[in-house]
Amino acid sequence: MIELDRLSKRFGSVTALDDLSFTVRPGHVTGFLGPNGAGKTTTMKIILGLDAPTAGTALVNGRRYDRLVRPLYQVGSLLDATALHGGRTARLHLASLAQSNGIGRRRVAEVLALTGMEAVADRRVNGYSLGMKQRLGLAVAMLGDPPVLMLDEPVNGLDTEGIGWIRQFFKALAAEGRTVLVSSHLMSEMALSADHLIVIGRGKLLADMPTAQLIAANARHDVLLRSPRTAELTGLLTARGATVTPQPDGALVVTGLDAAAIGDLAAGHGIALHALVPRQASLEDAYLDLTGESVDYHGTPVAAPGPVTEGTPNPMSTAR
Amino acid sequence: MNPAPMSPATAPTAPAPPNAPSIPVRARDLLGCEWTKFRSVRSTYWTLAVAVVTPIGFSILVASAFAAAPPGGARPDPLLPGLLSLEYAVIAVAVLGVLSFSSEFGTGLIRTTFAAAPRRRAVLAAKAAVTGTVTLIVGEVVAFSSFFADQAVLSGHHLGVSLSRPGVPGAVLATGVLLCVCALIGVAIGAIVRHTAGGIAAAIGVIVLPAIAALLRPPWSDRIGRFTLLDAARQVTALHPQPDLFTPAGSLLVLLAWPAAALAAAALLITRRDV
Repeated sequence: MIELDRLSKRFGSVTALDDLSFTVRPGHVTGFLGPNGAGKTTTMKIILGLDAPTAGTALVNGRRYDRLVRPLYQVGSLLDATALHGGRTARLHLASLAQSNGIGRRRVAEVLALTGMEAVADRRVNGYSLGMKQRLGLAVAMLGDPPVLMLDEPVNGLDTEGIGWIRQFFKALAAEGRTVLVSSHLMSEMALSADHLIVIGRGKLLADMPTAQLIAANARHDVLLRSPRTAELTGLLTARGATVTPQPDGALVVTGLDAAAIGDLAAGHGIALHALVPRQASLEDAYLDLTGESVDYHGTPVAAPGPVTEGTPNPMSTAR
Repeated sequence: MNPAPMSPATAPTAPAPPNAPSIPVRARDLLGCEWTKFRSVRSTYWTLAVAVVTPIGFSILVASAFAAAPPGGARPDPLLPGLLSLEYAVIAVAVLGVLSFSSEFGTGLIRTTFAAAPRRRAVLAAKAAVTGTVTLIVGEVVAFSSFFADQAVLSGHHLGVSLSRPGVPGAVLATGVLLCVCALIGVAIGAIVRHTAGGIAAAIGVIVLPAIAALLRPPWSDRIGRFTLLDAARQVTALHPQPDLFTPAGSLLVLLAWPAAALAAAALLITRRDV
């Protein structure tokens, strides 16, 4: 359990965190989302006692981090996988950290096996790929078999197989009743790995709710249809309280009625339908809506993105 | 769309109780951690190799120069070559000390270290203990090796002294302590400056720069100079201490006060800054 209470952090005149409160509960993979510079890493550093908050408190398992007895047994963390001494081997890196908390050598071998690092454990980390460093960072986080795990952008640098592996890994940890907080700036990634989302922007809390609820609350649903008798159909739909927006290519976009109701209505009046496509805004769009105001650095859009994506092939569309 | 944050919908069951042992981190744990770090990187062996090899060779050269000096002049202090030869070793161990922190700050590893051991002063103490112990042992090995090599050279010209002569064992021991002192100053400055290059420059500055007091007009050169690390070292390692400076015992205090002050400053700052 991680509890933040009215946490604020200012660097000079810059406010990094602004009255941030939330609780991360056990048994879930909680996604910690926000654009670059939103304050995710600062939040995690304060939780770990590395940065001092300007105001407010952060508690882990009910205690301030610096009051934890043997913290590696309580919180496993990974802030930056590349934060390693290049000349040291993975095994000795792990061994030194294990010693600091009185963790035995056998556990070092266990976490190396757990993360698939046995074969390279005695090589200097200089030669590691980013993916291997991420695995080593995960091995460090698992040293104390802690009930709370907190990882900053752990998917960064992993290949597709590695991403799949790490998702399953987090889900298994959460299923064991652990608290798992994983930050990312990619909504699409979090939609697949997290069942609860905490979204921040410019240091402020924007959302704290289950992933499915966040999508439902933010995503737009509509139905695109094509028919040879659009005028007639428009009248019928409007009479049922739906909103109909004609498209330049002759299609209709309907909100307020689902595809089944529209199909039944058309069939009841003998109107042929040539297309009937339920559409859902991508999670990415929901996220952009949520954080749009709070992005520090805007790029110039190359092309205006469509508000909704047609059909289901888009992997970012949610099917949860 | 949702300016106000929504509260979580569900409150799951309480977590499994943490499996953490209730024994706090022991000094032994942190010493073991820092010892493993110390012995697992190559920079340790490079800097220690410089600290061992250069003084022994260098001191024989100095002793030979003393021996070759024309007779009739002032008799040089027979223990001086052992001290003068440490010039490069002092810098090597200071670099070793600086790296113990700066390598961690430079890579970000310090965050992992402090997350594992949130009592930062204990980490500082553990690093100082490991670096200090190793450099003390290395320093004594170097000091006694240099002593025997130098006296072998000097005794051929009847300038040498024996280890059994009163005052000699203490002076040779003190020569070895100088390496430990400079390594500890390095550790403290590494924790304060955090950058390797800046830390090395600062450490060399702290160790060497006060020696410019020697350029002051007498008697100020001695009045100020006796507080400098190198004059204090010269005084405690000499067979014939100079009358204008502090006594050897007083100079030993000066010698130990430098790393003590540096470590105290580091201990003060280390808990106050974000990492």
